[in-house]
Amino acid sequence: MTAVMDIAVVALRMLMPLYTIIIVYQIYASMRRRRRHERPLVLLQNLDTGVKTPVLFWENSIGRNRRSDIAVDDPAVSRNHCVLLRRKEGWFLSDTGSKTGTYINGKRIGASRARLMIDDVITLGNSEYAFRRGEEYHEELQSSWFFSKVVDKPATKPYKIMLLVSLFHIFMTVEAMYCDGAENFDPATLCAVLLGVEWLFFFISTVVLHRVAFELESLCLFLTGIGVMLLARQNIRSAYVQLIAAVIGMAVFCALVKFIENPDRIGQWKLIIMIAAVGLLAVNLVFGRVTNGANNWIQLGSITVQPSEFVKIAFIFVGASTLDRLMTRQNLLEYIIFSAICVGALALMGDFGTALIFFAAFLLISFTRSGDIKTVILALAGAGFAGVLVLNLKPYVLRRFETWRHVWEHTQDSGGYQQVRAMTYIASGGLFGVGVGNGCLKYVAASESDLVFALMSEEMGFIVAVTIAVAVATLFIYARSVATRARSTFYSISALCAAGMLVVQMALNVFGATDILPLTGVTFPFISAGGSSIISCWGLLAFIKAADERTYSKRVKG
Amino acid sequence: MKRILRRSWFIFIVVIAFLGGMGFLVFETVFNASDWVDQPYNGHISGEGGLSQAGQITDRNGEVLAQTVDKKRVYHSDADVRKALLHVVGDNSLNISTAIQSQYRSQLTGYSFIWGLNMPKSFRSGHDMKLTVDAETCKTAYNGLKNYDSGACVVYNYKTGEILCDVSVKAYDPNSPPKITDENESEYEGVYLDNVLSSTYTPGSIFKIVTAAAAIENIPDIWERTWYCGGKEEIGGGDITCVNAHGTVNLQQAFGKSCNVVFAELAVELGADKMNETAKKMGINARFTVSDVKTKKGHYNVKNANKNQLAWSGVGQYDNEVNPMQMAILCGAIANGGTPVNPYIISGASGSVLKDLGLSETGTKGNELVQGSTARSLGELMRYAVVNDYGDSMFGGLKVCAKTGTGETLTGTDNDKNDGWMIGYCTDEDAPLAFACVVRGTNQYGYSTAGQVVKGAVIQAAKSLRK
Repeated sequence: MTAVMDIAVVALRMLMPLYTIIIVYQIYASMRRRRRHERPLVLLQNLDTGVKTPVLFWENSIGRNRRSDIAVDDPAVSRNHCVLLRRKEGWFLSDTGSKTGTYINGKRIGASRARLMIDDVITLGNSEYAFRRGEEYHEELQSSWFFSKVVDKPATKPYKIMLLVSLFHIFMTVEAMYCDGAENFDPATLCAVLLGVEWLFFFISTVVLHRVAFELESLCLFLTGIGVMLLARQNIRSAYVQLIAAVIGMAVFCALVKFIENPDRIGQWKLIIMIAAVGLLAVNLVFGRVTNGANNWIQLGSITVQPSEFVKIAFIFVGASTLDRLMTRQNLLEYIIFSAICVGALALMGDFGTALIFFAAFLLISFTRSGDIKTVILALAGAGFAGVLVLNLKPYVLRRFETWRHVWEHTQDSGGYQQVRAMTYIASGGLFGVGVGNGCLKYVAASESDLVFALMSEEMGFIVAVTIAVAVATLFIYARSVATRARSTFYSISALCAAGMLVVQMALNVFGATDILPLTGVTFPFISAGGSSIISCWGLLAFIKAADERTYSKRVKG
Repeated sequence: MKRILRRSWFIFIVVIAFLGGMGFLVFETVFNASDWVDQPYNGHISGEGGLSQAGQITDRNGEVLAQTVDKKRVYHSDADVRKALLHVVGDNSLNISTAIQSQYRSQLTGYSFIWGLNMPKSFRSGHDMKLTVDAETCKTAYNGLKNYDSGACVVYNYKTGEILCDVSVKAYDPNSPPKITDENESEYEGVYLDNVLSSTYTPGSIFKIVTAAAAIENIPDIWERTWYCGGKEEIGGGDITCVNAHGTVNLQQAFGKSCNVVFAELAVELGADKMNETAKKMGINARFTVSDVKTKKGHYNVKNANKNQLAWSGVGQYDNEVNPMQMAILCGAIANGGTPVNPYIISGASGSVLKDLGLSETGTKGNELVQGSTARSLGELMRYAVVNDYGDSMFGGLKVCAKTGTGETLTGTDNDKNDGWMIGYCTDEDAPLAFACVVRGTNQYGYSTAGQVVKGAVIQAAKSLRK
């Protein structure tokens, strides 16, 4: 009888890696499917030559600059002449400081947006364009690979993916219940609550909010569930705390998606968000509690909060912007100062992992906005100097660098204690893992957060852990792909930045635990235990979700 | 919009950097996993030095040297066998890093990168390992060696490479490993080293094999020459001394009587370059690999030696150092006509351990150490030494070619104790054994110390082979 059970357990363990790969593949495959054909939204017809120029984006720059979305070869047109935008209400044109002015039907317009109707005539310099419907364009368009050839394959129904995900969590529960030969039904209750949360979220998204797509949420529910179930046999109480935090995170996700529905409104909030973020960091600095040399926690009654996690969201709000604002206010100074304050405050707290994530996000945003590689190099040089300074001021950080790549000489002291155990247990788990709850790494401090990659690898196998890491990294490519179709540069920039933050954070977590990089103690997005962390991860996800053009388009019945 | 999208190329840099890191991680994991697993803190194999699920280790006859009974590691029932094989088998402390239980702990516990460690109990089985050693031979060698401060005895089959005897002292009983503290540290000095593999000693006269080889290959009339030994001779501003005045001797007699004067003169005549060249060819400065463990490097270099030092180096003094296993391999090479068969200690294992280890079940051929004709001549010299000087009856009827030596550990005081050596091989078809034995801390000569230890081991090993 035990032999039969054991065979079943081992078979299940061997099934899990394949199953993980299937789920991740299904999610990404259906992200590509069920999208509209690439076709021009509207078009501009040159009245002199009759040439039709397709307008592909919701926000388009028009100017003499060859890199403009719509390049106009006319010496009287400024390099960045004006911006053509689409909003819910219709199409708008706004002048971005051109020398010769922009005219609609002969009437000059200013920096504020002017409404544009079909068949209106736009005058830029010496050129005149008629504003026409997109259907009048018949030529072929080139699509990027992500959107090409997507038509034929039907998408996997969202509920089917959710069934796959739920079943995966049930399998994990079965493993957790029968681990170490001792039966324990706590994980079953936990799993029931988890499945309830997952399907409630699915119900709200599809039935109440009528959203077409649920792949992104499925992926993150998949990860969140793995994190929760890994905690089941380690500390059931923190598993419930994690689940509650995840629910809050999902609420934040929904609220943020709603909040940024109108990208123009964010401009008015920017200052408030900045002040709030800096205030939060200041409160942290004053009232913070020191844990492991980093002063990045504040205590609120019985719960502890990591404010820097929420500042991540504010960071994106401040960094991203709509195209007409980008064109008129190219100055990055405000953003640079805000970034410097954030990174500086984090360095003061001793939270260098998060500081590094912010810095990476800063580089992403400033490069995307300015396209200036010199700025990036300058920022890197500045960071290098700051880094040297930090190493001189904070000896414990220096110690991490000293033991980096030498952790095997520090198996019993803080220099390498966690990393060597992470590696030992990754190896002990083999390709298929020792089973949820059977691991030994769970007895090592911070295994459920800083070392969660190793914990996952030990209990569920190296294949699962690597697949999950790659799935998070793929989020970045997905974000880039949807950003090309986003309804505003605000969404494009924020999606790229949010995905970048998640990927950099994940890379620091994975490579820190395995001594490929110094251990910085950051969390693995969605999986690591940590309430603030998972809330902020769901918050960041909202930006990627918002960039997907399907998010704000309601499902058409029938 | 287009501009922003064009700038997003750097995403691919980030992703490629990440995938590169991931690739590196996979690479590191695949190649180091078994090292990572073998850690004393590893909870999956904790208790009994992590050997609570390890398989059996048996000798060539199937005698159990170590096994796990009820999660306890149990060693051989005979205390002398336990001590004799301590350095081969290892103990629960895992302090002897070259021992099987330390080297192959993860394999013994059934670890593989694919399956990891913690399979369900009914599937969990440690792999068994069978060694080439003969417990009885090792016990005999140990009983001879245990009277000395430090020593090593190795006997191996030079045709197949199987090691029958690998004993090192000091040793302790694996059933009660000593607690080594600051006070008793000196008493246990080097106890975790397998002297056969991991130590070197001053060769003394056994190095005359190397000098003789150099002379045979470089001096055309070497066999016609004679020398006069008056007991001592001044070379390069210092005396080279012999135990006795040997009178007029030819090469054979000089080798048999171990005449220092003759070999010192030969070393000087050959010169530093030829001596270095021959020593290098014979692998004196090289490491040999025995079932994944590398031997400690010997040492011979007279590039910067003065004439007197060069003379002393020819009789194995100066700063020469050799390793016992290395000398056994050299003897094996001479016996095999110049090319040794590499010795090995693991003859078989259950499961796919051998495949995991990348070891074949037979000894592989090593590099040529001695030219074929030189090997034959050296063999004749060593045979002559046994017949005329040690007595052919010493090895109970086995036809042995050998050389003894007494290396002086030159500290310059009266308390100097010597390294007594005997190395050689049997030419009997059914007992092709090469051996090397060294003991430290004697004021007697190699013949009466190491010789007495190794003869028992060789006779016992031959018995085991003939069984």
